[in-house]
Amino acid sequence: MTGRVTHAAHAAHTAHHRRHRGRRGVAALLGLALLLSTAGSNSVAARDGRVVVGSKNFLESKLLAEMFAQLIEGRTDLAVERRLGLAGTQVCFEALRAGAIDLYPEYTGTGLTAILRRPPTGDARAALATVRAEFLRQWDLWWLNPLGFENAYALAVPRARMADAPLRTISDLAAVSSSMRAGFGYEFLKRQDGLPGLQTRYGLEFRHVRAMQQSLKYQAAAAGEIDVLDIYTTDGRLAAYDFVILDDDRQFFPPYDASGLVRGAALRRHPELGAVLGLLTNAFDARTMRQLNYRLQEGGEPVETVARDALSALRLITTDDAGPAPPPGREALFPYLWSHRTTLITRTVEHLALAGLALGLGLLAAIPLGLLLERRRRVAEPVIRIIGLTQTIPSIALLAFMIPVFGIGEIPAVTALWLYSLFPIVRNTYSGLRDAAPRAVESARALGMTEGQILHWVRLPLAAPVIMAGVRTAAVITVGTATLAAFIGAGGLGVPIVAGLQMADATVILSGALPAAALALAIDALLGRVEVWIRPRGLQRDPA
Amino acid sequence: MTPAPVLSVRDASQVFGADVRALRAVTLDVRHGETLVLIGESGSGKTTLLRLLNGLQTPTSGDVCLHGASIRAQDPIEIRRRIGYVQQDAGLLPHWTVADNVGLVPWLLGWEPARRAGRVDALLDLMNLDPRRFRTRYPVELSGGQQQRVAFARALAADPDIILLDEPFGALDAMTRHALQQQFLGLKQRLTQTMVMVTHDLDEALRLGDRIAVLKEGRLLQIGRPDELLRTPAHDDVAHLLRYRAEGRRP
Ligand SMILES: Nc1ncnc2c1ncn2[C@@H]1O[C@H](COP(=O)(O)OP(=O)(O)OP(=O)(O)O)[C@@H](O)[C@H]1O
Ligand SMILES: [Mg+2]
Repeated sequence: MTGRVTHAAHAAHTAHHRRHRGRRGVAALLGLALLLSTAGSNSVAARDGRVVVGSKNFLESKLLAEMFAQLIEGRTDLAVERRLGLAGTQVCFEALRAGAIDLYPEYTGTGLTAILRRPPTGDARAALATVRAEFLRQWDLWWLNPLGFENAYALAVPRARMADAPLRTISDLAAVSSSMRAGFGYEFLKRQDGLPGLQTRYGLEFRHVRAMQQSLKYQAAAAGEIDVLDIYTTDGRLAAYDFVILDDDRQFFPPYDASGLVRGAALRRHPELGAVLGLLTNAFDARTMRQLNYRLQEGGEPVETVARDALSALRLITTDDAGPAPPPGREALFPYLWSHRTTLITRTVEHLALAGLALGLGLLAAIPLGLLLERRRRVAEPVIRIIGLTQTIPSIALLAFMIPVFGIGEIPAVTALWLYSLFPIVRNTYSGLRDAAPRAVESARALGMTEGQILHWVRLPLAAPVIMAGVRTAAVITVGTATLAAFIGAGGLGVPIVAGLQMADATVILSGALPAAALALAIDALLGRVEVWIRPRGLQRDPA
Repeated sequence: MTPAPVLSVRDASQVFGADVRALRAVTLDVRHGETLVLIGESGSGKTTLLRLLNGLQTPTSGDVCLHGASIRAQDPIEIRRRIGYVQQDAGLLPHWTVADNVGLVPWLLGWEPARRAGRVDALLDLMNLDPRRFRTRYPVELSGGQQQRVAFARALAADPDIILLDEPFGALDAMTRHALQQQFLGLKQRLTQTMVMVTHDLDEALRLGDRIAVLKEGRLLQIGRPDELLRTPAHDDVAHLLRYRAEGRRP
């Protein structure tokens, strides 16, 4: 065998190597899966003296979570792990229930309607009593005493829009709603205590309703593109825009008292936790909150700074800091990229690690699977079609499905990305092997090569460029989708993108989006080179 | 006197899927040292019959014997390494050089590299391909006729005593085809191999074949020497085939 001309030997050698790595890969993968599943279920038991604080992916939630975290750090010996910016109520709640986080800020109204699916009530005390009793009974989850302010839904209309007909209440709005264009957040559109209920209560019938991202709504309203929007009563931006908040004259919106939702297990394990968090009872009113939010949203100050200022103003923590840093102004893109280079490099490394790990595991699983399917042609098409279904699950939904099983953070993110990477590799491995030079395969068989030799010496080397093309597709998908990992707290370049979307700051968005796009292009180009390099020489039209 | 058959096909039928009857009860012998030509229109079962001979296909019913023993009882890999095969379109491995392609069967049989290289060069010489120029080329760098000659050299490499050729001069222009036919006739004199060759060109069959087997719709219509076929066609279709040729050749 040593006498073979180098190229054939080389191509076959890599193929051979790949096959063996593949077999070992399956074992490694099984081991890893086992490891991951135990890590997921034991994550609570495994950590002692450590509390995981989560938050949803909007600034007030992050601010409250950061205050919880700093308070715990400042007044107990517990270490705090932050999982801020998880995607929405469902993700946070599932993470809490699964024990992936120990507490996160929540609102009584959300607990009542979105989680318990109870009809909304106008009575704040009754709402709190209900969620407390039910969460405790059903899931051993505890609501802290309310923090003192409410962040409820309200409808707002730009004052400029009222020149001809001044509106004061939602009933006033109902009378003219058929001429109004509305822009509402995604959650508001779906929730029972959002638009559907509101429409029934007031008989609202808008001319046009658009689903819009929170911060874009404000800009659209200021630009006169929409006439009505849903707002949160503590939104800091209200200070910057001239909007009239309509009076909820028929008491539709349920109370949304801010509080903390904590796992009973965590409170029992660390009794000091309840005592320390209790210090925040009634600590903030809506006006204070709006100002804090303003600093975050419009001033672009970091959550850590604003949280520290708020806590030290209440003398709950002491700081040896020489006063708050001046709020950073909005920067142009390139100075911003430069001044944030260390963070961005860290994010890029995180991003590459997530995508690379997922792709590596994808190769280990998908190539052996493709080889196996090539030998079991009858089941191949159905199996590949089933794997193809993963491509049709929206990424954010796939990430959400991972939480009950794997919790939050890197493990579910890598698992989801791994699932995405499988299809292109399996499909190309299978079809590349199946369709590789059928006449050459036929003659190899006619001259007495065994099926194993044909696979090894003919099919694999000839299919290599096709397999590589699948790997390349998988790599680009994985790098692109990894931006969404930020939604379940896995870091990566999605973090600045999500943060920028919340602040409606294009510079911050681009500081994540540009490196992510550059990364995808670079990887595509690199793997394109590998694809050419791996192509057996005789297949090149123009031999070097 | 008639030498004992090297290969014999006994009442072999081949059915593909539910109703494609590619061969229907074909019985014939291939004699030692002869060149038997299989002729028939497209789809008549020529390739299928050839594939039965080296066990690439097992007949649905009937049997094929190699040196008197049923090939069902023998290792097909073993058989194929002992029988040369030239495919309808050369079928060279595109990612292997000419030398690797020609040396394929010797390599499978575990020949020493030096012995293999010597054999490859000798065969390329035999095929009028200068080894120094062609050894390291890839199939894409060859003309159609050169590819056919490499495929032919590859079939001869391990000195098999039987060679199967499926339209070896198929997709070639008339001049190259003629030149290769001449070369084949020359080789035939020097080689002692038994050959079974498929063609759908009657001229080629008459020129190269010691005997000719005529197939139609999976049935063997007639088998015999060229002059026998010309003199006493056993079937209207054979007569038709010959007449057609005679007319075609009229100036
Ligand atoms: N693997 C297969 N599956 C199904 N049908 C087949 C298969 N191989 C051959 N056939 C059918 O069997 C019949 C005979 O095919 P075969 O290839 O032997 O013809 P041929 O005489 O070699 O034709 P040609 O001159 O065009 O090469 C045809 O009808 C063909 O479609
Ligand atoms: Mg044929």
